Amino acid sequence: MNFQITFTTGYEYDSVVTDNLNALRVRPATTSSQRVDDFHVRIDPETRLHRHTDYFGTEVIEFGIPKPHESMTIDVRARVVTTQSPYPDEASWEAIGAPAYAEAAGEFLMPTGTEPPDALLEEFDQMARATSPLATLLLLCELIPDRFEYKPGTTYVGSTVEDLIRGGAGVCQDFVHLALILLRRQGIAARYVSGYLWAAPQDGGSDSVEVDTHAWLEALLPASGGRGEPVWVGADPTNRILATESHVKIGHGRFYADVPPVKGVYRGGAEAKLAAAVSMTRLDPTTSARA
Amino acid sequence: MTEPATVHDPSDYRPTPGYHDEVYLPDGSPRDYARPMAEELERMGPEQLAAAGRRRDAIFMQQGITFDATGEDGPVKDRPFPLDLVPRIMPGEEWTHIKRGLAQRIRALNHFVDDVYHGREIVHAGIVPWNLIVSRSHFARAVHGIRPPGGVYTHVAGCDLVRDEEGWKVLEDNVRTPSGISYVLENRVAMTRLVPSLFQSYRVRPVDHYPQLLLAALRAVAPSTDDEATVVVWTPGPLNSAYFEHAFLARQMGVELVEASDLVVRDDVLYMRTTSGLRRVHSVYRRLDDDYVDPLEFRPESLLGVPGLVRAYRAGTVAVANAFGTGVADDKAIYHYVPEMVKFYLGEEPILDNVKTYLLSDPEQLEYVLPRLDQLVIKPTSESGGKGVFIGPSTPADELEALAEVLKVEPQKWIAQEVVKLSTVPTSDLDGTVAARHVDLRPFAVFGETIKIVPGGLTRVAMREGSMIVNSSQGGGSKDTWVLEDGEDSDRAEPPDVVRQELPALPDMRYGGWSDQEQQQQQTSTERGRAHACPHRA
Amino acid sequence: MLARIAHELFWLGRNLVRAEHTARMLDGVFQADLQGRPDDPTGVTLSWPSILAIMGSEQPEEGTVRRDDVLSTLTLDLDNPASVIACTARAREGARTVRDVLSAEMWEAINTTNMGLLEGDLSARLRTGPYSVYQYVKERSALFWGLTSRTMLRDDASAFLRAGGRLESADMILRMLRVALPPDVAEQEPPTAGIEGALESPTGGAAVRDGQALALLQAVGGFQAFRRAVQGPPDALPVGRFLLYEQNYPDSVAASVSYALDVLQRADDSPRTSEPILRLSRLGADLEFRARGGEAGAGALNATCETVQRELALVDGDIAQRYFAGADYQGTLYA
Repeated sequence: MNFQITFTTGYEYDSVVTDNLNALRVRPATTSSQRVDDFHVRIDPETRLHRHTDYFGTEVIEFGIPKPHESMTIDVRARVVTTQSPYPDEASWEAIGAPAYAEAAGEFLMPTGTEPPDALLEEFDQMARATSPLATLLLLCELIPDRFEYKPGTTYVGSTVEDLIRGGAGVCQDFVHLALILLRRQGIAARYVSGYLWAAPQDGGSDSVEVDTHAWLEALLPASGGRGEPVWVGADPTNRILATESHVKIGHGRFYADVPPVKGVYRGGAEAKLAAAVSMTRLDPTTSARA
Repeated sequence: MTEPATVHDPSDYRPTPGYHDEVYLPDGSPRDYARPMAEELERMGPEQLAAAGRRRDAIFMQQGITFDATGEDGPVKDRPFPLDLVPRIMPGEEWTHIKRGLAQRIRALNHFVDDVYHGREIVHAGIVPWNLIVSRSHFARAVHGIRPPGGVYTHVAGCDLVRDEEGWKVLEDNVRTPSGISYVLENRVAMTRLVPSLFQSYRVRPVDHYPQLLLAALRAVAPSTDDEATVVVWTPGPLNSAYFEHAFLARQMGVELVEASDLVVRDDVLYMRTTSGLRRVHSVYRRLDDDYVDPLEFRPESLLGVPGLVRAYRAGTVAVANAFGTGVADDKAIYHYVPEMVKFYLGEEPILDNVKTYLLSDPEQLEYVLPRLDQLVIKPTSESGGKGVFIGPSTPADELEALAEVLKVEPQKWIAQEVVKLSTVPTSDLDGTVAARHVDLRPFAVFGETIKIVPGGLTRVAMREGSMIVNSSQGGGSKDTWVLEDGEDSDRAEPPDVVRQELPALPDMRYGGWSDQEQQQQQTSTERGRAHACPHRA
Repeated sequence: MLARIAHELFWLGRNLVRAEHTARMLDGVFQADLQGRPDDPTGVTLSWPSILAIMGSEQPEEGTVRRDDVLSTLTLDLDNPASVIACTARAREGARTVRDVLSAEMWEAINTTNMGLLEGDLSARLRTGPYSVYQYVKERSALFWGLTSRTMLRDDASAFLRAGGRLESADMILRMLRVALPPDVAEQEPPTAGIEGALESPTGGAAVRDGQALALLQAVGGFQAFRRAVQGPPDALPVGRFLLYEQNYPDSVAASVSYALDVLQRADDSPRTSEPILRLSRLGADLEFRARGGEAGAGALNATCETVQRELALVDGDIAQRYFAGADYQGTLYA
């Protein structure tokens, strides 16, 4: 698919702030199933941008606004082409014991220190164990939305998995965090993915939709028969599916804090009011035929 | 030779059998190099030593050379730093061995840090497992791929050494923000003031040039083309237990002591706020952990740091000592691999050995350790300053049982070590009598263009009989460490020919009479100057 | 004011400053002697013979100068007019003469200092550690000058007291500089690269001079001030220039000259025709000029020191001539 993405974030401060420093992780990644044709970031008030690639390979754009200001807008535009990844092979549990698997898994198999107490997880461990790693992945994509209500506002950006389990509701970020822990407990390496998700227009008319930044995950599945490289397979526990060509990936990490879309600090006692909007437009000629 | 000289009464001092005493031989006679000191101690007697001790406390309180300790009744603030007035003496040859071993070790650790954040060659060579490295709490993803100016990461190192009957060994590597150097310098000054007579028969290598070495190193790595590099010392603030040292070093180097709120990053350059506006900073000696340096890159909830500092660091506009991410090299699980690093990176045999260490993340080693907890020392891998350490032989059985459960759950966070039989040095009690007490040694190295190590270092001493706990926060004391200038040190530059100085003829002193300076002669009277009838100056 | 009183005050200032500087110097050299420097050739620091030279005392004709002898001679020997205790005793006698123009607190400060030095077994204190003795002298001196600032009317009397103190200070610094930074040491090559782990250092004469400069700087208490004012290591030339020229450092020669000039100008009814004031003013301008120039080496610096010291001796004579000349001292003589 071929998308035009616009991601606009506006901050209104209730008094003057200075030294507003931010790090953006918003640029769609370049992967085997995704290509970026065009990418622009514009900041108001205008300022210089610094770019680098972080430890996990995500492009980071940093900027600072030293002068006093009362509002700030971050305007991101990207054009991306995605293709559908092949459906993953089904490999046995034994395959994740291979040295090549551990090698590729690296730190995505390790606890991160954000895990809730074991007692809270044990019931899920039982349920999540399926006939194969892939089956477990698919099962979790059903199990989590079955068990927890998707309800914006019940959790916040710093909420833990324990908050989700105890509260019974959360958003995509919480679902993914729980799924990651459960997968790793089964010996399956898994990583957090930040990105944009295209949702087909309800009315079928317009090709431009208002969406949000989204979170899903990638699990490392062994190649079938124990031969070949293990592959990272995207899965979206919020939407009960494996990742599709509608999922536009920005980057990955161990958890949310490794890939936050916007992270910033400023000097001044002001409260900030945030307005963020992501809009995605399908550019493929095929889509108009769909209507 | 008549009776062997010993302190006060020969029956008073007995080296503990089975432990190496650095002053007395097992038969109670002093080692050759220590004999003059032992004799002087004997001459002084306990009263003089105790009196000097009281003067010491008064001076330290007056000068604010204090620290906060944890006493039996909770925290105790502002106690005079417990300097024991009996020095620890080390022959030059012994020091040369230590110095070479440390320089070698620090070079290897520096290579390791660079490797961890770049090529990972030591991982590919199968020597250190990558999973172990990434699971260290001080592994810093934020500085992946950044190479600091000069390729130096471990600008300041303070490794802990111990000596047993076999010789010197490394107990711990401290390459984050080791503290204690200010006490080394203050101890030496205090010793010359309080017990100058002990120095009489010795030439002791000086230590007071440390701030110059540090400043030179900080300037050497500063990304500044001229000599005008601005250097600062960054302290977390007066509440930090080592604030005294931060202020001391800033004062001795003549640089600003800054806190986070004094610093700001604009674009990708670090500045400090001064009364005349922003002033660029080129080199930062920081005395706080990575977690608190930049909320954008490390702990986000910490607003103590300087947002954007890592960006400036990445851009190469500022040098930070020690470099971000060096903590991965002083983790206690990584310590285990240092001798292998020496071989791998330098192609040399390690000069200083490790203490025998067990990595509990290895199931076989865990298996070996669990039934022997009461004979080993168990340490958490990422702590320093003796925090969370269990000394098996002196830990109650029920605590060890609880510990065993913890080890089984999170073995990767712990190591076990053999108990080292720390050497002893005579140490004075409150009443001035001396007895054998266990010591360790923390030498301080500075890595700028080359590695330089201040002779000696901080000797820490356990003040209770038989105790091996030397941390000052847990009731340990310290000693002035004397490296003797006894000739044999091939590393030293050749001593220049002694220059026989011609003294200039100065005008005579005048004493307020009406003297003509040509006529004023050496006076011998006790009277006031004006009592001397001299002709009025014409 | 009475010429005699002015003269007493002038020398009261000089004696107190001399006692303090002597104490500082002895303490500093004692420390340096015990501690050494990384690059010292064995046994060469700002040495005990140097101190005797600074104080204008005679060198023993043969044999070595012993530390304990120097310490004791220059600290406690009432028979030696250069000793700390003799300076203090003279100051106390002078203060007694001018008690009425001093504040009561200033007088008590001097009197107590003198008593404190005379009582008790000072030589025993000196043996166990001279630090406490010198610390006492430094503290008492600071107390006196602090009280002067706080409690003494800023009149002519205070001008002569302060002028004496500052001119003595300049003279002592110059004496120390001339001995510590000798001109006859050959200029050395810059330091050679050291072996790793070794301490790189200049060698030979330059090292001696650098070591002495540092000891001197620490003795006068100016180390931190130097660090804040000057980039670069505390080697002989920058230290020498700092102690000579740095107007912002209170104990530099230039600062002392400015200060003495300032107070005398206020005390003199017709400063434009005053020989000491004119001479001090020329000296001040000369120092400022030289500060901007920069010496080629420590040798040149030493020559400057000698010139300045000669000028100060002339200033001293001019002051005696202009302000103290009318006083008749015969009545107080009892020699």
